[in-house]
Amino acid sequence: MDSNQQQGGGQQISRTAGVPLSDFLMQLEDYNPTIPDAVTAYYLNSSGFETADGRLVRLISLAAQKFISDIANDALQHCKMRGSQQSSSKTKGKDKRFTLTMEDLTPVLAEYGITVKKPHYYI
Amino acid sequence: MEVIICETLHTQPKVLTMAAIPSSTVESGTTIDPRRKTLATAVSAILQEAGFFAFEKAALGTLTEMLQSLLCEIGRSSKQFSEQALRTVPVVGDVVMALLELGINVTSVQAYKQRLSNRMAVSTPAQQVDMKQHSVLQVGDKKPHPFHIPDHLPPFPDTHTYCFSHSYKQPVTEYEAIREKAAAQKKDIERALTKFAAKTSDTQTLFLTDDKEFMLVGVKPNPKAYLDALMPRDQVFEEEEERTRRKKRKAAQEEADQQEEKDKLNDSQEGELDNPYLRPVKMPRKPKVKK
Repeated sequence: MDSNQQQGGGQQISRTAGVPLSDFLMQLEDYNPTIPDAVTAYYLNSSGFETADGRLVRLISLAAQKFISDIANDALQHCKMRGSQQSSSKTKGKDKRFTLTMEDLTPVLAEYGITVKKPHYYI
Repeated sequence: MEVIICETLHTQPKVLTMAAIPSSTVESGTTIDPRRKTLATAVSAILQEAGFFAFEKAALGTLTEMLQSLLCEIGRSSKQFSEQALRTVPVVGDVVMALLELGINVTSVQAYKQRLSNRMAVSTPAQQVDMKQHSVLQVGDKKPHPFHIPDHLPPFPDTHTYCFSHSYKQPVTEYEAIREKAAAQKKDIERALTKFAAKTSDTQTLFLTDDKEFMLVGVKPNPKAYLDALMPRDQVFEEEEERTRRKKRKAAQEEADQQEEKDKLNDSQEGELDNPYLRPVKMPRKPKVKK
């Protein structure tokens, strides 16, 4: 894991502090986040947030995407660590393929202060 | 545990389509919110970007729920900040404040955007078109506009909503129709009576098997069966016959009663009859014997 992938560290702030917020917003003008604007706008509207500025919606989309992405990265590290401990011979030959499980996700979310309890059944 | 392999995602180009994930993986409910489905697709795209090959259904559901809550919370919080500053429409500052409050640094978001190399974009879900044609029940003929009403005004509603109409129908007086009706009614009555008789009294079947369709009304055994054939009776006179028989019986009884009374009377007062139609018996005069 390189330092870039570490979440919200102090190094990143120092590296990108030079870009003003207005410039960043201008960059968002022609940028498509993974989450579609329409979907983000719907959830924002449902909680009272209403704006005609598409850049704000994209900023929020990107922030949310980053949040999930950070969790996913941490979970991947967890998964890799667990895999190396077990050192299973199953995945030795071929390219390692990681599966996101609740086993990996729960401790990662606990680090973020989110408690996940395993539901009795998941619908 | 159900594990869904996002192999389909690998083969897809950079823009994911909704078909990338089978619908059953996301949420199996009576109605799946399409926006939620899109969020799940976005989450799976992010997971794939992070390097995962497959995911558990529960993990995807958890992350999707978190993403949705986060979006709602950012919106709510931004709105609060804008209202605190006496604004009705949020500006960038409000959003940044909301993000900071949630522990997301905007500068780190900037960095994230820069290092995002092979980003994927989930296409906006298409507007679902309501395919069902809502047909209006047409009752009667609609009246055209009178000349003083311009054509662009809406048409009149169905006539039955504002016009008076008689609720009864002119009775049919045609001879043929009445005969037909009467014949049909007679046939129906006969059939119904036969059915009733078959259900209430003994039945016979022509076939060995027990079947309900071809039941026959049982015949009552008559010791003198030939009498019916020798003395044919018409249906019409049956009633009259019955009436006369009843009369006879009554008369006979009355006679018997009278006889009884007479006897009593005779016993009590001899010679006196209270019947006005009967003359007292005249005794023959004895011829005088001439001496």
